[in-house]
Amino acid sequence: MKRSGRIALVMMGTSALALAACEEPRTEAALFETVEQCVAEEGLTAQHCYQEFETAKAQHAEVAPKYMSRADCEADFGNGNCETAPYRTSAGGHVFMPFMAGFLMGQMMGGRAHTQPLYRSGDDRKTFRTADNRPVGNTVGRTTVSQRAAARPAQKLYTQQRGGFGARARAAGYRAGA
Amino acid sequence: MERVAVPERQNWQQVAAEHGFTFHTPDGERYWDETHAYRFTLRQIEEDLESPAEELEQMCFNVVERAVADESLLRRLAIPEPFWDYVAASWRNRERNLYGRMDFRYDGSGPAKLYEYNADTPTSLYETAIFQWIWLEQAMEQGILPAGADQFNSLHEKLIDAFRRFGIDGVLHLACARESDEDLGTIEYLEDCARQAGLPTRRMFIEEIGLSGEGCFTDPDDAEVHWLFKLYPWEWLMEEEFGAWIPGSRTRFIEPGWKAILSNKGMMAVLWEMFEGHPNLLPTWFEDDASPEGLAGQQVRKPLLSREGANITILGQDRTVSGPDGSYGAEGFIRQAAAPLPSFGGRRPMCGVWLVASEAAGMCIREDAGPITTDDACFVPHFIGE
Repeated sequence: MKRSGRIALVMMGTSALALAACEEPRTEAALFETVEQCVAEEGLTAQHCYQEFETAKAQHAEVAPKYMSRADCEADFGNGNCETAPYRTSAGGHVFMPFMAGFLMGQMMGGRAHTQPLYRSGDDRKTFRTADNRPVGNTVGRTTVSQRAAARPAQKLYTQQRGGFGARARAAGYRAGA
Repeated sequence: MERVAVPERQNWQQVAAEHGFTFHTPDGERYWDETHAYRFTLRQIEEDLESPAEELEQMCFNVVERAVADESLLRRLAIPEPFWDYVAASWRNRERNLYGRMDFRYDGSGPAKLYEYNADTPTSLYETAIFQWIWLEQAMEQGILPAGADQFNSLHEKLIDAFRRFGIDGVLHLACARESDEDLGTIEYLEDCARQAGLPTRRMFIEEIGLSGEGCFTDPDDAEVHWLFKLYPWEWLMEEEFGAWIPGSRTRFIEPGWKAILSNKGMMAVLWEMFEGHPNLLPTWFEDDASPEGLAGQQVRKPLLSREGANITILGQDRTVSGPDGSYGAEGFIRQAAAPLPSFGGRRPMCGVWLVASEAAGMCIREDAGPITTDDACFVPHFIGE
């Protein structure tokens, strides 16, 4: 046979949508604003709590969203909720990022969630969000979270400029494909 | 090879909607056309198209091998000088290629002749791999075609397999320019294949790509782009504002930089020079060189970098036929011995043979009324049956 044995699409078309609508798998985790809340949780030791907090904190500067101005950062995270990041722009200016608002304890809970820092956006102070802006709930303490939402967060660079590609497609009026 | 009239499936528009085929009738003009189909024999497919495509691919690699060691050739192919080392390094580091489409003149007998190689940003991929495949299955079920018909089309399986073996660690980003349903449909399909290969993906527009202070490319969420499938030609990327940051970035591009050599029509002249007389090649030369000895008759003039038939001219003894106006040609031209598309009831099919990871993987036929295949061509399905 010179053709594929079978064809399946997992994202395109209405037949694929049915699959996407299935409930996402969830996994065990715990959410805390502070190490103290963690230590107070039954069954968790201070040593575990500090260890996981440090693991989350170590990622904060890398994965937090980055802004070129404090005002832009505060527009997303609320007044007084941003700090300077340990980066400089190529022109020597400051880079800003939100304060870490808590941490997600993953591995220690036996689930498949990735231990990571958490944030709260200015327009939705109740909900914990990952650095990739995925909500993981508002429970302090043990909970379950979407496995996808609690995946390892991506490193965030500070984007200085956008729109440097695409000029020829606009000018030529051609499709880029051929 | 034969063009046969076949009844349309009653429900094909609905099947298209169910499978995400959104661009079958752009601007009210028919693109997907199943009122006819092309019938091939297995021998025609295997001996005349499949094997030659794989052989030509290896010959193309000889061209790349030569070009990356010859700056005068890179200059001739209009590859900008700041990218010479980058293109050469992408080849020496064996950066993998995903796919391409070779366009042939073929009429069922005699050797197929390669017009050009869309090695960088070919489309018609989704409709070849998925919709044409479904057409065959349903046409057999509905008695439109005899049971036991086949099709040269293992694209879907080969694409998923290629993504599995690509060595992509982390997220695969896919980007195309805004405002083309067809380009968007192509990257949506490739994203679907990548997901089936187990890769995390992120789709965006090429205009949304950002540049960080360190000179890294970022996505709309400021995450670094490590692996980028770009449905956007290398020659455009290289000359646009962010192009200068490509060599220093940590982004791996698919197709890799060395495809800029193959997607260039000047490559056809180099192929002829290196493999003169090969049965699947047409005599081709750079316009500023003398034409090959003993060549008489019609010639076709093509810009090195044209797309969709733009700025292509057929220079005849008595009349000249031009393709759509475009903005190409400043980079130079090739001349190619004319090999007019065959006529099947007044329609002129171009046979596009797909390669995935350098293996022949399927075929699409696009039909136009005129001698130059343009963006207005129709997609007509094919089947294999004795």
